[in-house]
Order: sequence, then C-alpha cells, then structure tokens
Amino acid sequence: MQTLGEFKLPNFFNYPPYFTLQPVKDTREKQIQLWKELILEYCRTHKIFVVGLDEDFPLFSNPVIERSLSHEAREAYLSALVSEGRAEWLDKSHRKCLLLWHRIQDWADLIISFVKDNGLEDSVMTVEEIRSGVESRGTELHGMDRTILMRALKHLEHRGKLAIFKGTSADDEGIKFSI
Amino acid sequence: MRRRPGIGGLQNAAAARDQYRLLGENVAKLRTDLMKEQLATFRSQLEDFARKHKNDIRKNPAFRSQFHEMCAKVGVDPLASNKGFWAELLGIGDFYYELGVQIVDICLATRPLNGGLISLEELCKLLGQRRKGTREAISQDDCLRAISKLKVLGNGFEVISLGKKKLVRSVPTELNKDHNEILELAQGQGFVTVDEVQRRLSWSSGRATDALETLLEEGLAMIDDGHKDGRRRYWFPCVSPVSSYTASESI
Repeated sequence: MQTLGEFKLPNFFNYPPYFTLQPVKDTREKQIQLWKELILEYCRTHKIFVVGLDEDFPLFSNPVIERSLSHEAREAYLSALVSEGRAEWLDKSHRKCLLLWHRIQDWADLIISFVKDNGLEDSVMTVEEIRSGVESRGTELHGMDRTILMRALKHLEHRGKLAIFKGTSADDEGIKFSI
Repeated sequence: MRRRPGIGGLQNAAAARDQYRLLGENVAKLRTDLMKEQLATFRSQLEDFARKHKNDIRKNPAFRSQFHEMCAKVGVDPLASNKGFWAELLGIGDFYYELGVQIVDICLATRPLNGGLISLEELCKLLGQRRKGTREAISQDDCLRAISKLKVLGNGFEVISLGKKKLVRSVPTELNKDHNEILELAQGQGFVTVDEVQRRLSWSSGRATDALETLLEEGLAMIDDGHKDGRRRYWFPCVSPVSSYTASESI
C-alpha cells in the first residue's frame, strides 16, 4: 500500500488515467467522487485548511507513475467540493481554496463541547486562546484555521451562544461565552 | 455360408440377413440394458458418495469442481432444480444462488469503475473478500457455474474469453470482434495507443479510433493524457484492475 508519510493512498492514485479529467460523463462523475473523498480525508488527517491550486500539494501529483493533475482537473475537483459545501473559494480567480473537512456547524459544536469540558460557560477568552491556548491542546481546535474559527464563532454569535468584542490589543478579539 | 444359386439361394440370403439384423438389434439392446444398469449403479454410488462427502463438497472448491465433472459424466446436474434429491442433500442450489446474488452485487458496484466488464480473477478475489466470514472458499469454477445459472434467469450476464483470461460482462454492451481484439492487445500493458492498435492489428487509423472511442463511451476505457511523450493512452480497468495498482514503497 503506497503511503504519503503515514497516510494510506487509495489504489486509484496509482492508476494513470485518474490523473486525466475524463470526458465521458459517468466515468468523470466517479472520478470526481473518488478525488473529492481523497482530498477531504487527506486534509482532515493532516489538518490542512487551505489548498493553493498552483502549489505543490502532495495529492496533485504522483511521481511514482509520473503523472500530475492539470490545473483544470484541480479546479474541477475542488469546485465539486465547493458545490457540496465542503470547501470555499477564498478568491474570485479560484486560486486558493478553504477546506471544510469539518463543516462550520461541526466546528461550532466542537467549540461548545470545548467550552463545556473546560467549565468556561460564563468566561471570557481571546480568539487566539481558543485555538492556541493551553486548554486547546489535544483538542481538534488546536491550530485550527483562523478564518474558519471566526466563521464558527460568528455562527454561534447568531445563535446567541456568545458575543464577540474588540479586545485590549489592536489585533485580537475577545469572546464572552453565554452557553 | 456358401452361396447357392437360384431362388432358393436368394431366399436363404434374405433369411440370413434378417437373422443378422435381429441379432444385431439384440446385441444393441443388450448393450443398452447393460449400460443403463451400469449408469443406475453409478448414479446410486454417486449419491452415496455425495452423502458421505457432503462437507468436503461444500468446503473444498477443487473437490467440488471434480464432483461436478463426475456428475456431468453420468448426466446428473445437481443444480438443475432447487428441489429434489441433490438440492436437499447438498443444499448446493442455495449455495450457487447465494453466490449469484453476490456476483450481481459486485458487478453492479464495480460498474462505474470498469464499465460493466470485470475479469473473472478480479471478481473471484472480491467475492473472496466479501465472504471472508464463511469458511467456504470459492473457485473460479464456482463463479462460472453461478453465472451460468444467472444467464438462465436472463440477467444479461455473459462470460467472454480473452486469450487465456475470462471476463464477465454484466451490461448489454455488445462487444464486436474489433473491440475484443483491442482488449486482448491491452492485456499486455493494461493500455493501448491508437498507433499501437494500427500497427499491431494492421488497421486504418479511422478504424482504430472508432473502436477506441466506442469503448471509451461505453465506460470500458479511460483516457490518459499525462505521459511525457504526449501520446494519449487508453486504459482498460477490466484487464488490469485498479485494485492491483498498489505500490509497496512509501514516500
């Protein structure tokens, strides 16, 4: 089984035609589905939040079989993830993609669990502390992408679970939980 | 017998011919009777055998295959009907029925990847994986028997021979001789190019392209434009299953 580090690559990754966008509809749909799953799973395992289409993202090429995904193919697969709500384009020219291997709702739920687990129901924290503070170590929140974190927090603010306010330092915001 | 001239002689000859004929018929009948008796004996011995070795027949594919051959020789088909002696004794009808259902399942599941054509080898492998829980091993012979029963139900299943290999077709796609020749050619490396087809089969480029495009449209082929020589390759998942593409090194 070929691996990228510890990650087990699926068999289709070693089959050259999968690196060419297929013209026949049914075949292409199957191809896109396989790639979507692979990209999402890989990003989840490695906690990758942003993928740049012109980058050397490890899944975009397989040196063993000497094949690489064309720009068109990369965009096709990521667009498919966007359509499914599992990713978002960060720019109009579709060069950078934000991966939501957890949906915003899932992240919001994780924040709530985190707050409850640490008895922070009525307390105040900075945004940065949520993702890099001592309490976050060992949880999924640790090291999470800031854009996604803000979106999840705003989602919770909408539901009245917390309030976001400007903090003492110019560049960080604070959260007052009311869960 | 000495021939005698005259009418008497002719009458004798006719009588002799009649007698020979009767004798011949008797001998034939004797032979048939003997054979029928032998067959009946053999059949009952076969039944005894089946009873005694019921477990072996169920568990051992090689043994099972030889048992089938023995049955065929005496004109017994254990799969002929789900009722009756054989089915009850061995439960073999159910065994092949269950296998048939699993085969249909696997073919349907792999259809998006191989266009409805799967190698017998791959099918057996997947069946083996699926049946890991049971202790009944499956051979390619078992698969073929189950598929032949499926055909009787009109499921559109068919086994195609490609050189030494066999492919199982589960879609109504008719493969003509041109398509078959390309598939055989593809067995070498798992893919072909238009040039190669033209060269090796001595076809015009039009004929090669047409055949390849049809196979592509039917979902039996996939294109690969990624080789550095810039030539398009047509890969055939049914002759080189994707599942066989595992590398052992890690990066």
